[in-house]
Amino acid sequence: MRFLNALRDGVGFDILLVGAALLFLVALAGAPLVYNVLMSFQQVDMFTLGALFRPFVGFDNYVAVVRQPEFWLVTRNTLIFVFGSMTGQFVLGFALALFFAQNFPGAATIRGLFLVSWVMPGLVVGGIWSLILAGDYGVLNVILRSLGIIQANVFWKSDPAFSIWAVVIANIWLGLAFNMLLLSVGLAAIPRDLYEAAELDGANAFQRFWTITLPMMRPTIGAVLSLGLIGTLQQFDLFPALTEGGPANTSNVAGFWSWQLSFQLYDFAKGATVSVMMFLLVLFASVIYVRSTRHEVRG
Amino acid sequence: MTRTYTPWFLLAVALGLAAIYLFPVYWMYVTSVKSGSEIFSNPPTFWPADPNIGVFGDVWARRAMPTYLWNSVVIAGGVTAITVVLGTGCAYVLARYRNVWIDIGLFCVLMLQVLPASVMVTPLFVGFNQIGLLNYPRTAVVLAAAAKAMPFFVVLVRATFMSVPRELEESALVDGNSRVGAFFSIVLPLARNGILVCAILTFMSAFGEYIYSKSIIQSPVLQPASVGLSGFLGPNSTDWNSIMAYSAIYVTPILAIFVILQRRIVAGLTSGALK
Repeated sequence: MRFLNALRDGVGFDILLVGAALLFLVALAGAPLVYNVLMSFQQVDMFTLGALFRPFVGFDNYVAVVRQPEFWLVTRNTLIFVFGSMTGQFVLGFALALFFAQNFPGAATIRGLFLVSWVMPGLVVGGIWSLILAGDYGVLNVILRSLGIIQANVFWKSDPAFSIWAVVIANIWLGLAFNMLLLSVGLAAIPRDLYEAAELDGANAFQRFWTITLPMMRPTIGAVLSLGLIGTLQQFDLFPALTEGGPANTSNVAGFWSWQLSFQLYDFAKGATVSVMMFLLVLFASVIYVRSTRHEVRG
Repeated sequence: MTRTYTPWFLLAVALGLAAIYLFPVYWMYVTSVKSGSEIFSNPPTFWPADPNIGVFGDVWARRAMPTYLWNSVVIAGGVTAITVVLGTGCAYVLARYRNVWIDIGLFCVLMLQVLPASVMVTPLFVGFNQIGLLNYPRTAVVLAAAAKAMPFFVVLVRATFMSVPRELEESALVDGNSRVGAFFSIVLPLARNGILVCAILTFMSAFGEYIYSKSIIQSPVLQPASVGLSGFLGPNSTDWNSIMAYSAIYVTPILAIFVILQRRIVAGLTSGALK
């Protein structure tokens, strides 16, 4: 009876609410994560897939993954993909956020429309960009040629020098709007009178940006950059739609490689190993993220 | 003189930027109604010479879209239901108190928010295989995707609950309501709009879910529309008007909901994602 009362009227109610959600998350996110680490130290093949206890192999899987001929290529691509996407999303997003911070009719509505890219399924976005980036009939080549930027067609998806950049371009388009929105929120929180005072003191637009906007935006920028890193590492759908990691792994990144190892080569141990490596990278990013939002989280 | 014209000039620039940015969406619709040879013409036509609306009905029937879309709705509905039921209560508690345990809980949720699906899919698949859940592939996908969607939902809805005044709940308690009663009759109705927006966002992202469905669901009659699309989309695809018509049918409902609710969705995102 006391138990029931606590459930209805006391702290038991809170524990029930939070406990149900946490239990679910532990079962479907926490446990698989631990299981993943376990698998990366085991021998997992078609025979032991269903077994509960598999032979331990120590660090063999890690050694095997690093010795794969494509390992360093995939590492390099992952870095290009992450930093290329983040830089593009952030710089363009910041520029657009500054533009839409001006006072003109319809600014908020038009800015909101940009988020269309963010709500579309990644696979569809990949499909559309696959068409736009096509080498011989793609519309991007036509536009770039008519602007005089390129002389000959660029085969974005099939040229090993450009294939990873094809995915980067699509990913910048996908994530740009979300970056812009978050940066806009940060910009709107800067008090107007700071700018007015600086203007009275004779600071030009560049000085105002450098001495007021950037310092005031520091926490926002930290959060946006780490969210960008996390979002980019989560990106998967663009790869099957655009390049499937090819040609010859020149556009393959860790996330897609891990999936290929598990679900196309059925080498679950190596797939788990790559995803553990990737998880360590994500962990690093999220520590930065949590640190940069900590004071905001605590309100 | 110049001062009165500046806002309109900025508006024109803004519309220009939006047109450039949204060009890929326009291109999807235009390409879907072009004829096969027009797609490959050089220079490309920016307005279809001979729009062929029939392609939509054709793709709808030939690609078995009703089945795929229905599976998408089932999966997205299941994900949204689990996320809303479990996530709302969790967000409420995380918003109501402020102590070490809440900080730890919030930290766990934030950490789970960052896990890429491509990291989770291998252990989930092997684990589901061991407990026999792969025989119910749609359920398996719903569970996996709900765990993926919930942290983001909790973070956003928590911000909504933070904006509900504590005094209202406390006065209900003083008036003799139980905690359960106060939660359902005072707090939930006040936070309803925010929860609804987040539920719609969850539904929209689950509607486009791909990686779990592709890896877990083998039978074509149970696969969602994203997997159906991937069946004829790849680096070397050329059947562009079917692909774009399929994509257009697939995303138009999402885009329509987004445009209608744009203001609320943007407000919900901005209040939650950074706080």
